[in-house]
Amino acid sequence: MIERYWSITSSLLPFLWKGFLETLYVSLVAIVAGSLIGAVIGLVRSQRVPLLTGLFGLYIHALRGTPFLVQLYVFYFVLPNTGISWLSWDSRTAAFVALSVYTSSYVAEIVKAAIEAVPRGQSEAATALGMTRLQRLWYVVIPQALKLTVPPMSGVYVMIIKSTAILSVVGISELTRQGEVSILRFPRDVLFIYGLIAFIYFLYCYPVLRFARWAERRVGAARTVDLD
Amino acid sequence: MTWLLDYYNYRIVAQYLGRFAEGLSNTLTAAGVSLVLSLLLGTFVALALLSNRMGLRKPVEGYVAFIRATPLLVQIYLVYYGLPALLPFAKSWNDMYFGIAALTLNSAPYMGEIIRAGIESIPRGQIEGAKAVGMNYGQRMRYVVLPQAFANTLPPLIGQTAVLIKDTSLLSIITVFEFTSAGILLNSERVRPNESFLTIALGYLLIYLVILLLSRGVKQWLAGPAWNAQG
Repeated sequence: MIERYWSITSSLLPFLWKGFLETLYVSLVAIVAGSLIGAVIGLVRSQRVPLLTGLFGLYIHALRGTPFLVQLYVFYFVLPNTGISWLSWDSRTAAFVALSVYTSSYVAEIVKAAIEAVPRGQSEAATALGMTRLQRLWYVVIPQALKLTVPPMSGVYVMIIKSTAILSVVGISELTRQGEVSILRFPRDVLFIYGLIAFIYFLYCYPVLRFARWAERRVGAARTVDLD
Repeated sequence: MTWLLDYYNYRIVAQYLGRFAEGLSNTLTAAGVSLVLSLLLGTFVALALLSNRMGLRKPVEGYVAFIRATPLLVQIYLVYYGLPALLPFAKSWNDMYFGIAALTLNSAPYMGEIIRAGIESIPRGQIEGAKAVGMNYGQRMRYVVLPQAFANTLPPLIGQTAVLIKDTSLLSIITVFEFTSAGILLNSERVRPNESFLTIALGYLLIYLVILLLSRGVKQWLAGPAWNAQG
């Protein structure tokens, strides 16, 4: 029994490793691109820029109010159907863009909340020193807000890694997809192969989760109560 | 209005209205049943996480870590292929049952974390006061801790419910005919991506808006009475 599972594992491992590398790559692209877009949107929203704040608010609600799977279908089926030439992308581009845009909606809210959490007095003191709005943001508010974004951003990173599994639906050869293909080779061991896949995701996500918890404790101390 | 037909032919959508309604009702059923079950399981998870009994706490911690660190889609596959092997009576289940089982198992740890945080937010003095008047553990929970924790946890629980509803879309992958499946059906029969996927996106958005309004209403309602009394 164990020998059999061992032989399946060793014969699939190179194949699953390729899938894991794709998962790693997509998740890194999404966290970087999503953070860049999200940081700009969050910054603009925290400054209450007229018109833009409302517009970006719509963007965030649209992305948070619909399942990622549906968004993926929109990026994969609807946008290439518009007839605009640069939107007629392949499935891989559609998947990367969809995940990055999805990520940006979460990052934007984190950035906005972090900027608003920096005490007002900081910004007011900077005003008193004669700093302009951009100087206040760049030298006083953002450096302090950055620390606050670390725990929730780690949470978003885990969420992205888990969302990459959904990309298997449009044929991206990431870990879950490679697992599905492996099942064609070992149809009787469906459960074992999905267990193996789950374990590989666990190895990637769990350290990030532990880091998030550690960062949470560093940034804001958790209260404890005994019930007995 | 004829120009609109090129981009979004609402007449086609109208033809599929019955299928969309069927899908929507399955989505709400899956989400509703999973919500109730995951609140029950989540309360158990919360109490286990707060327990001093290692034999109870450690396995539950492992379960929570597994759910949080693996994708829902993989969990759905594990339940879909694993449950019939584990429980013989599950062999005759239809896909909806597997979907609900997977969503419940996925959602309970998140609900549990929220409930645990709610319980921990109760000021110490409340529990000490309850001990001082001679209440036992069950009484303290039932009369002092849980009612107050409920008020603290309701807003985040509503947020988690919104996530749960969105997560039901993944059940389309194990061929449950829910709301997303209705859109996929329209697209596969008519090859009209706009009418298929923009319609379901709009549908989910409307559900989300209802929940958003509900959440705001609840927050206002809870800000009224003396929930936030100092301990």
